[in-house]
Amino acid sequence: MTEDVEMKELPAPSNSATSSSPSTLNHLKEIASLIETGAYAREVRRIVRAVRLTMALRRKLKAQVLCAFLNFALSPGSEPHNRLAAHLPKEDEHEMEFDTATSVSQSPVKHPLPELEIYCYLLVLIYLIDQKKYSEAKACSSASVARLKNLNRRTVDVLASRLYFYYSLSYELTGDLAEIRGNLLALHRIATLRHDELGQETLLNLLLRNYLHYNLYDQAEKLRSKAPRFEAHSNQQFCRYLFYLGKIRTIQLEYTDAKESLLQAARKAPVAALGFRVQCNKWAIIVRLLLGEIPERTVFMQKGMENALRPYFELTNAVRIGDLELFKSVAEKFSTTFSSDRTHNLIVRLRHNVIRTGLRNISISYSRISLADVAKKLRLDTANPVADAESIVAKAIRDGAIDATIDHANGWMVSKETGDIYSTNEPQIAFNSRIAFCLNMHNDAVRALRFPPNSHKEKESAEKRRERQQQEQELAKHIAEEDDDEF
Amino acid sequence: MDPQLTEVSQLFERFKAACVREDVDTGSNLLSKLKVMLTGFRSLPPLFEDTPNAIHELTLARDIYEHAVLLSVKIGDQDAFERDFFQLKPYYTDASGRLPPSSQEYMILGLNLLRLLVQNRIAEFHTELELLSPTALENPCIKHAVELEQSFMEGAYNRVLSAKQTVPYKTYDYFMDLLAKTVRDEIAGCSEKAYDYLSISDARQTLLFSSDDELLQYINEEHPEWEIKNGVVIFQKAKESAPCKEIPSLQLINQTLSYARELERIV
Repeated sequence: MTEDVEMKELPAPSNSATSSSPSTLNHLKEIASLIETGAYAREVRRIVRAVRLTMALRRKLKAQVLCAFLNFALSPGSEPHNRLAAHLPKEDEHEMEFDTATSVSQSPVKHPLPELEIYCYLLVLIYLIDQKKYSEAKACSSASVARLKNLNRRTVDVLASRLYFYYSLSYELTGDLAEIRGNLLALHRIATLRHDELGQETLLNLLLRNYLHYNLYDQAEKLRSKAPRFEAHSNQQFCRYLFYLGKIRTIQLEYTDAKESLLQAARKAPVAALGFRVQCNKWAIIVRLLLGEIPERTVFMQKGMENALRPYFELTNAVRIGDLELFKSVAEKFSTTFSSDRTHNLIVRLRHNVIRTGLRNISISYSRISLADVAKKLRLDTANPVADAESIVAKAIRDGAIDATIDHANGWMVSKETGDIYSTNEPQIAFNSRIAFCLNMHNDAVRALRFPPNSHKEKESAEKRRERQQQEQELAKHIAEEDDDEF
Repeated sequence: MDPQLTEVSQLFERFKAACVREDVDTGSNLLSKLKVMLTGFRSLPPLFEDTPNAIHELTLARDIYEHAVLLSVKIGDQDAFERDFFQLKPYYTDASGRLPPSSQEYMILGLNLLRLLVQNRIAEFHTELELLSPTALENPCIKHAVELEQSFMEGAYNRVLSAKQTVPYKTYDYFMDLLAKTVRDEIAGCSEKAYDYLSISDARQTLLFSSDDELLQYINEEHPEWEIKNGVVIFQKAKESAPCKEIPSLQLINQTLSYARELERIV
């Protein structure tokens, strides 16, 4: 109740210039009270809600508001307050003094909860990053992480994981990611000891991001395979994990697993996370090309992604046609995009797929074609195209990509006739797998049915039952009469 | 530290001389002694302490390991190569900021890539490739390995074998020989499926043997199912056409019964 009184009195003395900030300040104070109740009741849900509400306020944060909030939450002159206020820029001394004067006179001295302190750290950090003051953000985040090491409360975990994220972000934006790798590993160890699952998840993702930033796929995979796995607590962290997993699998040439992970990540990601979904889609497209399948046009036409995916669209076109020259020109044209996406090495691997597709087209269209012509059509620009073409065709036949034989003496390739597929068991097998899938889906849906919990309580009283039976009898008689009348 | 350093340097000189002389036994003995002495230095990985002689010690240790790698190639010991290379790697990655670049760095990196290719560890090959900067990729040693891998994947094996002539360094020969053997097996496998028959001279050419006898010996050892008739190698015996394919009746019955059961469940 005292808080309400304070909130009403504070807006009155403030100047007109700060008229917008009171509402933000009020929001922040509401969030602070939410955190307090959550901490006292040990309910993590409230803290999660508090964090969500903060994210909504992100744009409206200003230095004055933050100072005022700091004065409210932490008693000014106390050590945490000084530490935090040091990070904020000293704008507009007058406003601050005015606010401090009023709030000091009215707010009682309180012991700041650790949760509140960490929350203040979080606010200041978000503000600094949004203002692009990265080196200060770095200092602030290091201080907060040092503070966190001493705290061991479950209610702080949610705020802590957010802090770790911004800690890593501030270092990444200044290009110093390698420095904090040791710290992140130590924090992950601590989180595991304390059974802080959300923290573990966040830190694992941050570590993977750290390794992948420097292309250390080997170490990333070693960490990922040894780290404890459990049910995902946060959808966003799960999406990130799937994305990093997909990337690692792609580099290790396990394309099927990679495709699954990347597509899942792209699907689960929230619609607002456009940049993330674009990245997922880029990698997913390349993995599908490497697997030999061509992604449909609708993938490239998703809302907001057309421009970003344009280079990949042209690349897919080149692979689909099977034209090496076109492929080379597209790769050169967009080489800067590809290097910034770090997909350059994967594109180089695609060359092999281009040749295969071209070869498949040729083998389907011609029943017999000389190897020199094959080399010309594939536009193999090497020293000895005919011999190259011969070996390439031989390997393709061995891998089962095309159905043909080579006649070495005459130097041509003879395609085999593809038999009538309906006379084999193939359609039956395909149908069977689809039927099984539909039936499984049906069974799962039935099992997932939920009935409203009180439906079985309504029992018919004897009266109602008699009434119902009477009605049924009348109806039956009626129908019987109607039948007779029909004649 | 200084007397230790001078001792190591002297031993290192003797080791280098032994390698040049192609005296592998002395070389190996000296190498083991050198490795033991290197553990005395505190500035090396994993400690990376900052002693006054740090740069000197790091450079010395790096040179020692580079020579160890080259020695293992001479002996033909791939495990020793792997061990020494892993010990050498931190010098290239973590200490690269403090030391002047080594002249043999790219050659050894290229050798490692080639080794992974020969051992068919393609996933690790690509992982290593990711770690290289774009400038490294322009280097002829590395480019050679990358193009080799591409030709191998595409199946243009003749390019692989002709690349043997264009090795940048003589030390690559060992791995190229191993690669040639792998390639030959691959070509044999492909030819089996792709050709119905090949004349002896053509077979000899594609499999890159220098004489017919070698070819016949190879066929007898590796592929006894190939027939040799009238100067022609026949790869697949004519298969008798399967008269009537069996209908997998049991499987079909099971499937249909499961459909019936599931459909009954639908209320």
